[in-house]
Amino acid sequence: MAKKGLGYYIVVRALMIIPTILILYTIVFILLRILPGNPILAVVGTRNIPPEQLKHLEHLAGLDKPLIIQYFDYLWNVLHGNFGVTLASPMGVPVINYIATRFPATLELTIWGFTFSVIIGLVTGMIAALKRGSKIDTGMRIYSIVAYTLFIPWFGMILQYVFGVILGVLPTGGRIDPRISLQTITGLYVLDSILTGNIPALISSIKHLILPGLTLGIVLSGAYTRLVRNNMVDVLSMDFIRSYKARGIPRYKITWYALKNAFIPVITLMGLQFAILLGGAILTETTFSWPGMGTFIVDRIEYRDYNSIQGAIIFFAFFVAVISLIVDVIYALLDPRIKY
Amino acid sequence: MKLKALSKQVAIAVIIAIIIVGVAAGYFAFQAGKSPASPTSTSSSLPSSPSATTSESSTPSSSPTSSASSTEAKLASEIVIGVTDKVTDLDPANAYDFFTWEVLYNVMEGLVKYKPGTTEIVPGLAENWTVSSDGKVWTFVLRPNLKFSDGTLLTAKDVVRSIERVMKIKGDPSWLVTSFVEKVVAKDDRTVVFYLKQPTSFFLALVATPPYFPVNPKYPEDKIASDATWGGAGPYRIVKFVRDVELVLEANPYYYGPKPKTEKIIIKFYRDASALRLALESGEIDIAWRTLRPTDIQYFKQQSGFKVIEVPGSFIRYICFNTKVSPTNNLLVRKALAAAIDRQQIIDTVLLGAGEPLYSLVPKGLWSHIDAFKIYGDGNIELAKKLLEQAGYSKDKPLEITLWYTPTHYGDTEADIAQLIAQQWEKTGLVKVTIKSAEWSTYVSYIRKGQLQAYLLGWYPDYLDPDDYLTPFLDSNANGWSGTGFANETVNKLLEKAQTIVDQQERAKIYEEVQKILAEQVPYVPLFQGKLFIVTRSDIGGIIPSPTMILMYNTIYKVQG
Repeated sequence: MAKKGLGYYIVVRALMIIPTILILYTIVFILLRILPGNPILAVVGTRNIPPEQLKHLEHLAGLDKPLIIQYFDYLWNVLHGNFGVTLASPMGVPVINYIATRFPATLELTIWGFTFSVIIGLVTGMIAALKRGSKIDTGMRIYSIVAYTLFIPWFGMILQYVFGVILGVLPTGGRIDPRISLQTITGLYVLDSILTGNIPALISSIKHLILPGLTLGIVLSGAYTRLVRNNMVDVLSMDFIRSYKARGIPRYKITWYALKNAFIPVITLMGLQFAILLGGAILTETTFSWPGMGTFIVDRIEYRDYNSIQGAIIFFAFFVAVISLIVDVIYALLDPRIKY
Repeated sequence: MKLKALSKQVAIAVIIAIIIVGVAAGYFAFQAGKSPASPTSTSSSLPSSPSATTSESSTPSSSPTSSASSTEAKLASEIVIGVTDKVTDLDPANAYDFFTWEVLYNVMEGLVKYKPGTTEIVPGLAENWTVSSDGKVWTFVLRPNLKFSDGTLLTAKDVVRSIERVMKIKGDPSWLVTSFVEKVVAKDDRTVVFYLKQPTSFFLALVATPPYFPVNPKYPEDKIASDATWGGAGPYRIVKFVRDVELVLEANPYYYGPKPKTEKIIIKFYRDASALRLALESGEIDIAWRTLRPTDIQYFKQQSGFKVIEVPGSFIRYICFNTKVSPTNNLLVRKALAAAIDRQQIIDTVLLGAGEPLYSLVPKGLWSHIDAFKIYGDGNIELAKKLLEQAGYSKDKPLEITLWYTPTHYGDTEADIAQLIAQQWEKTGLVKVTIKSAEWSTYVSYIRKGQLQAYLLGWYPDYLDPDDYLTPFLDSNANGWSGTGFANETVNKLLEKAQTIVDQQERAKIYEEVQKILAEQVPYVPLFQGKLFIVTRSDIGGIIPSPTMILMYNTIYKVQG
């Protein structure tokens, strides 16, 4: 019963990705066109280009078509897996080419940020719960609030200054030393370095990942700290823990049981955090000159490149929706109380 | 259940939309490759022809052609340059921004070029040229045995093909060719003849721009190749290009001229000035080029271990007045506002010295420049008051004006400049200023439609000639982009006449006259000409600052040890 229900739930949830993307595409389409100006004007600017040439360029970019045609043309192309071509600076490059090179960069950063945030959040939350009511607990609670409110560009720059300039141990921007050549397979540099056995590339890419990963990780760990602490405090005060203690079960085992029980709500948060994480990645990427989807979207907004922005956001949204679906399924599988 | 799930999906969609669009938009508020030409031989260097070296400035440590190992051994083989600019389009048929042009100047070369550090035009790929008596036929003779950076022979046919390609593709900068050139033919392997639509006195300055550069035959005939790395016949060639990440250049072994001092140039692209500054401080890059903030420049000037090199700027900043709408259609108002502006205050307080007061649209240092706007003085509040009173404004009935600027095109200082100008105008006590801003594309759209009254703009020259600082602004057949609506028959005739005269002194007289009319009519108020700064680590040498603001990489070196 539960299995059949879950299958049905997955299908429904998967189908719901379609209206989600459609709504998002419509919002982005309208937002981009609500303001005067277009990609050609953004590039030409105040250059002294004859009006007839401007018209020719707008025609090449398809901007002379009625808006409704532009809307459905793009939608039709996306349904066929075609995200269109860039409209400006440069013009005519398939957007999917950019996504193919930029998305792995964001994914890699996100994975690191995610891992850092969960580890830091679990450790700090656990310590706070075990030392409940102590100064350490207060410290960890303050940490969770401070971490959560940190402004990524500001915090990132502090880390860059300390580790890049003062200590000079870590690079302040980029994904890998430009002098190192790496054969890309997956686009995830750490993985590619391992797959190709390229040690200098592995070291360089890890060094480049530490600061942006840590920035993102610390900022997002605050939420985990609080959640893990509160859940663990609840679990630790439950009867079964008291009876474990009475039976003389070692403290580390009790902690482990408590952590396991406190973990389920954390997984829910992970799913939600993943979407926020990708948003945070935009700020982290711009701070660390990280060539991912975030910097791509920001660059393209500057050029008002409709196709690139629409394509990148649709792709992003699709990815987040799929992750969210997977997390919900894992959640259902982990918690037998949940039925669909 | 379904409804609940749907609302969750919609909520996620909205959150993502808000996060992505909001974060990107908020970011603006917070702050303002593939197939390299296969290297066959990188070590071999063709002996440079004697005539080629005449245009190159040698740097103190060694002559560029010197093979004395004792000197060469001290120089590093690679230099890393950081920029916040972007390469837009590596195809000269469509590239139309300053930094991409800089890259093209280094990986390609035109028939003529600028002598480093000057605005003097000297032979490039062409060893000499002649012009017909009517000024309409220009004949260029190429140097013998020219080769592209992959070793392919470069003949007059390649020059013709490249220029015809620009005309056919009709990309952004194509007007620099199509507005002037009727046709171009190859008379033989080394002779290229341009037939112009009308005599054009500044044609050599046009030929020095990238749309005239011969490109490798691999560039498709009628399509833009945005990420193409085949290049042309410049001192360097591209070996790696990862858009917005890095661009790696190596010395072109087939270049006719002297071998570059540094074999490899790596350009790293940074998101903003803060990231660029940190990269220079941490030693990730050797040179921070365009563009650090004025405060960063001040900082590096006080630090040991860095050199700050000033580059005279040929870009100008100015205010435009729409002469078609009230109140800026009133000449007295325009004159009053021009008089109230204190240029030095803007330079001192906002730019921290990174600029020079400008009193004409033709920048200082370029022939024919006169300080036309000095007739109004600087921060001349008394004159401004008098003119405003003449125009019928008083304390009870002040002049209400909206000053526009864009925060997304001219850097972080733009809002402060607008604020300061508003203060200077309001100092008269007869003006009430509202400041508004719009993101670049929107801003340009408003301007082109003539919807703004007073607005800040800037100009980077297409070619270094007074014509490029006057005709696009004042000729009513060419200034549609400016939104000023300025039209003056006398000015039109003078500018057209100046284009066809070959004698520079005679042209200068005409341009001086035009500048005087500009100051009398005030459709624009020149503010300042920008200075650029290159900050390097102290072991870097050989940088030749040029009025063209283009940095040539072939003279730069890094002392090792």
